[in-house]
Amino acid sequence: MNGSLRQSMAWLHTWSGLLLGWLLVAVFVTGTSAYYREEISLWMEPELHQSTASDDTMDLAWQTLGRIAPEARSWDISLPDARNPAVQLRWQPAGEEQPRQGGGRNRGEQAWMDAGSGEVLTPRETRGGHFLYRFHFELYGVPRLWARWLICVATMFMLVAIISGVITHKKIFKDFFTFRPGKGQRSWLDAHNASAVLALPFHFMITYSGLLLFMVMLMPWGIDAAYDGDRRAFFDEAFPRSTEAPGPAGEPADMVAIGPLAEATAARFERPVSRIEVQHPNRENARIRISVEQDVAISGRRRGGSPTQVFQGSSGDLLETIEPSQAPAPLMGKVYNVMTNLHLVRFADPVVRLLFFFSGLAGSAMVATGMLLWVSKRTQQLRRQQPGAALKLVNGLNMASITGLLAAIGAYFAANRLLPTALAERSSWEIRVFFLVWLVSLVHGLLRPHRRGWIEQLAVITVLWLALPFVDMATTDSHLFSAAAWRLGALAGFDLICLLLGALWGYTLWRVARPKPDKRKPARARQPALAEGNT
Amino acid sequence: MTVLLALALGYTGLTCLALGMKRHHQELLGRKPTEARLRLFKAIGWLLLLATTAACLMLWPLGLALSMVPILVTLVGLPLIFLLPYRPALARHLAWALPLVAGGLAVGGLG
Amino acid sequence: MSQLKNATRLSVASRAIAAVLGGYALSATATAALSVGLPMSRMDAVITASVLSFLIYSVAVIWAFACATTARAWAGIAIPTLLCGALVWLLGPAS
Repeated sequence: MNGSLRQSMAWLHTWSGLLLGWLLVAVFVTGTSAYYREEISLWMEPELHQSTASDDTMDLAWQTLGRIAPEARSWDISLPDARNPAVQLRWQPAGEEQPRQGGGRNRGEQAWMDAGSGEVLTPRETRGGHFLYRFHFELYGVPRLWARWLICVATMFMLVAIISGVITHKKIFKDFFTFRPGKGQRSWLDAHNASAVLALPFHFMITYSGLLLFMVMLMPWGIDAAYDGDRRAFFDEAFPRSTEAPGPAGEPADMVAIGPLAEATAARFERPVSRIEVQHPNRENARIRISVEQDVAISGRRRGGSPTQVFQGSSGDLLETIEPSQAPAPLMGKVYNVMTNLHLVRFADPVVRLLFFFSGLAGSAMVATGMLLWVSKRTQQLRRQQPGAALKLVNGLNMASITGLLAAIGAYFAANRLLPTALAERSSWEIRVFFLVWLVSLVHGLLRPHRRGWIEQLAVITVLWLALPFVDMATTDSHLFSAAAWRLGALAGFDLICLLLGALWGYTLWRVARPKPDKRKPARARQPALAEGNT
Repeated sequence: MTVLLALALGYTGLTCLALGMKRHHQELLGRKPTEARLRLFKAIGWLLLLATTAACLMLWPLGLALSMVPILVTLVGLPLIFLLPYRPALARHLAWALPLVAGGLAVGGLG
Repeated sequence: MSQLKNATRLSVASRAIAAVLGGYALSATATAALSVGLPMSRMDAVITASVLSFLIYSVAVIWAFACATTARAWAGIAIPTLLCGALVWLLGPAS
């Protein structure tokens, strides 16, 4: 590759990196949070925290559904697991199925039940971790398809940046342990390189699998060519579903107790029961499907069924035992499964989840350092001149996309605790707080001078994140010093991660706020050799 | 707790790889290395990374284990990169202390 | 980098179009061609081709920028695209 082309590649990397960086940093940060979206949702619904599973939980769920939805067409009970202490009850009300707005299957009615008492719980209205998770791949308030394409384009660019970066900068493999502190732009470059190169396998996996998850949207041409445009035919072949129609409801009839059936299934598969589905409950043709938890093998099918037993509802006779089966996949099918399973962390092991969370943080830092590098480089080129409007704009946007987003997420969590529980449209208000704080940080970032702006925003997020566990303490009974938080792990973990991240922002603040060493040695910062660094 | 051991071995392995590079060797140990020493450190480094892989294989099924190795190495490598210039002595001492502590924990019943 | 000469800028713009749009056209036709051409079951071929498509796209983008001349960059993307398109047309499902 000759010099001018290397330069044009660098030019491409710099500018599209800057433009897409603002988006990518949000995608990375919210995506990192999404590893814990269920834990976040649980934290944001403190009304569920006191629920404790017992031997009676299944019977209680059975009775509760019998009471609140005796006429339903179907029941669906999700039992408590390591990540959620309450019972989720879903049912399809009697009558014709209403198609959901915007297509897709109607999910029917839903309620939470206390696993210990059988009482129906009404958690505060919140979108929980789901909001951040959705933002990760379809933003918010933007037409879904547009947002997904936009994010996929950014992802595609990142993939190209990774591969081309490896080709153009082969030498960074030789000294990727290099970090030269206190040298302004050089240090940012080193930090950017180190986090990019060292985490290359993670970045490659996460970008490629991100694209694979939207494969059908991005690259439907293979399906169209091989199936002559009939995409339904492809899906039916790729994800075969039992097409057994439920049939009409029979005459009313009592059902057997659920306890012995569940015990039988748990004993058969030697695992705890996780889900119970019932078709036509309280009818003579009731069917009870009892499933146990399933470990996802890394190359296993994404939508693989769980081990299940099907019983006749009125007699309790075993009708069918469905063993977990691994459909043989071609090599690339396995690659697809491995990649998407890793992206979605579909493994039960909490250690794996934590390690991915930290990798996500490192990835966010990689994108952020790249954006800071851009500003640092141009600030250095300015020498003594005042920064122009463009530089100020970029800097303000950087601030909003990094510290601003962190402030917005912190405020979203705080709003969950501080907004009145009875507030109308409560979940929308939480989201409004999120965007309002983000907007304020953008305006602040554009108005304040460079260094002062960063210091102020870092101070805000430090205080905000460190305050979250204390807000939690003041507003709930499941805070860091309660038994409930430690029984569930996720709750204590949430508060501890807030403290950890708050401390991290505080440390960054301390590094930024203290006088810079190169101010004392102004000659060194302006060595011409430093100005031409290769980005 | 084997995961801590895997992380510690990865850290030490990467430190040894750094010691196998001329510049970092001088940074960390303060003297000019011989070619033989560099090669030795490189070999030890790679062996320790193999040990990390072995620890992962003990923890997880094959496919997941192999996917986790680069992730573990990344997570210990990042702190190492920032320790090298700021606290070279600490980086060096952690390299022998971490595996001992993690190994002790793993053997001492917590694993 | 304001030092980049106008000619270079034009070349970068042209290569960028070749990379982004041409690269997509190439990976789309290549995916379609592999889907109908690979000697496996229909579904396996589609999955294999689609999984590889993003790699093809990346390679096309890098090719567009790594090539010595802009004309070669365009040719290297256009010719395989046409070939793959022809293959799809020849092998496509008889309907």
